[in-house]
Amino acid sequence: MKKNDIIGGGIFIALGIFIFTQTWNYPSPEKGHPGPDLFPNLLALLFIGFGLALILKARKLISVEAEIVPGPKRIANALFVLAIVAVYVGIVNFVGFLITSAVLLFILMKKLGVTILKSAVASIIITLFINLMFSKILRVPLPIGIFGW
Amino acid sequence: MNPKVILVIIISAIYGLFVGAIPGLTATMAAALLIPFTFFMDPVPALVSIVTMSAMAIFAGDIPAALVRIPGTPSSAAYTQDSFELTKQGKGEMVLGVDVVFSAIGGLMGAVILMTSAPLLAEIAFKFTSFEYFWLAAMGLSATVMVSRGSQIKGALSMILGLFFSTVGVDITLGYPRFTFGVVELLNSVNFIPAMIGLFGVSEVIRSVMQGELSYPIARVRAEKIFSGIWKLFRRYKVNVLRSGLLGTFIGILPGAGADIAAWIAYAVSKRSSKEPEKYGAGSIEAIVDSGTANNSCLAGDWVPALVFGIPGDSITAIVIGVLFMKGLRPGPMIFEQQPDIVYAVYLSFILANLLMIPFGYLAIKSSSQMLRVPRNILMPGILMFSIVGSFAINNSTFDVGIMLAMGVIGYFLEANGFPVAPVVLGLVLGPIVEKNFMMSMIKTDWDATQFFTRPVSAVLCIITIFIWFFPVFAALLERTKRRDSLRAERIPPST
Repeated sequence: MKKNDIIGGGIFIALGIFIFTQTWNYPSPEKGHPGPDLFPNLLALLFIGFGLALILKARKLISVEAEIVPGPKRIANALFVLAIVAVYVGIVNFVGFLITSAVLLFILMKKLGVTILKSAVASIIITLFINLMFSKILRVPLPIGIFGW
Repeated sequence: MNPKVILVIIISAIYGLFVGAIPGLTATMAAALLIPFTFFMDPVPALVSIVTMSAMAIFAGDIPAALVRIPGTPSSAAYTQDSFELTKQGKGEMVLGVDVVFSAIGGLMGAVILMTSAPLLAEIAFKFTSFEYFWLAAMGLSATVMVSRGSQIKGALSMILGLFFSTVGVDITLGYPRFTFGVVELLNSVNFIPAMIGLFGVSEVIRSVMQGELSYPIARVRAEKIFSGIWKLFRRYKVNVLRSGLLGTFIGILPGAGADIAAWIAYAVSKRSSKEPEKYGAGSIEAIVDSGTANNSCLAGDWVPALVFGIPGDSITAIVIGVLFMKGLRPGPMIFEQQPDIVYAVYLSFILANLLMIPFGYLAIKSSSQMLRVPRNILMPGILMFSIVGSFAINNSTFDVGIMLAMGVIGYFLEANGFPVAPVVLGLVLGPIVEKNFMMSMIKTDWDATQFFTRPVSAVLCIITIFIWFFPVFAALLERTKRRDSLRAERIPPST
């Protein structure tokens, strides 16, 4: 936790400085009173203050035994999940909700170790259930795509 | 109570029991995933749904605590060890019977206090102006940091992060776009619902994928025996029930303090006043009675500040308030006059949910071994898909799905490094209230800040807020003084 806390504190300090750079040119109301920059600047000060406090506290902590870090395979799985969702968002309007969702679910389950048959059945059932809930009951227009589904 | 609302109650109860019984899925996450459905409902069934779901989920977290030694929700963590130890001694049925019955009793006690205290506080709240609301929101944010689990510095940073997200969009003084970077969708601020779904839903999916499949042996219990001996236990621990019910509700009334805090505090108080403190941690049914009563009574207490002031009592009510704002409804004292149906819906659903907890809880316990065997590598992709569609459904916008993803990553990294996520939600909801009331107060008094301190109620709230800020410093100084005194006492040689 010690090293991560120092990095975390640094990130929050950097965020505070970033906020100051963004609010520098914000306009002020008449009579020079504070305007849209007041609250963000206060938050920036708090980020810097608490970020420093976190770093100082982390430096005082005795290093404990090494953290358990997830293995590379698990990290790759997590990145895969994020990447596949990004691809899903990119193509769902073109391909359509039903096909894209079923395929995404199938690929994810297969990647997480589910057998092909179970992945196929579960992904179809879940997709149809979500379609029923959102499209038919809540009447949310889900993307149809070029195949009309 | 029309048939549609009754159907909503039944489905929400089943949903809450399922989510609560699966380790790793929290009641807050369940609320976040429920929002896309409730967003499209009328306010009354939407509120009924969330209240029922949360009451059932908080109880259902006790089931895996007893059967596999993993709490289903954080509110069951305080007494997981005691529950499991008793199950190992062959008393699993008694544990689960206590869990379901005393949770229901605690929930009903909290509901009665909610029904009696909220209208009285609403009368006081009518006199509140922007000055009082500013201090109330500031007090809520401060209390959130003080009660946050783990490091208070990290809790503060999480809260400030939530406040920062709330500043994205057009500001209230000049209508100037802040931190939008030219993105039109951000002019209306970070969309609250996808942000919640990301923080609680997607982050859990990422965490689950990183942890891998959990496997655990599940103890067997005979559900038909869970109610035997309950009346005797009630007579023996009736004072505990009364104490914990009141304590849990009061903790819920404090902004920012949720069911998990209530359970831990009730556990500590119970141990201190018990005649058998040595049993705590090794299988104390008294601990389970106290904590189980407190965490369910806390849920109703959380709704007191939410309904009366629009200040959330915990992260679930923070989500509810955010959704009510999006639907153009303003929780606060006016709701008691202008929309009493919403208030009565909350009251009635607490009563019904806690009465239904006993039969539904029995069925959940009966099917617990099947529920606990649902494979996570099928469940998690399903939750992810719900999250994606739920985020998309609000504005039919894939940009919101992007917000969900970003917040999911942020939520994962925050929790992986010991930063609590609940303060982010409270910052996101209370940020606009704090800023708006502050700016309104300053503008109408031409930037004369003295009224923040001279109005009587404002002054009291100000003193409480400042006390909360400096409480950790006072506590540390007191601890240091006690330690110095005890060291001094050790050095003084005994007289001969």
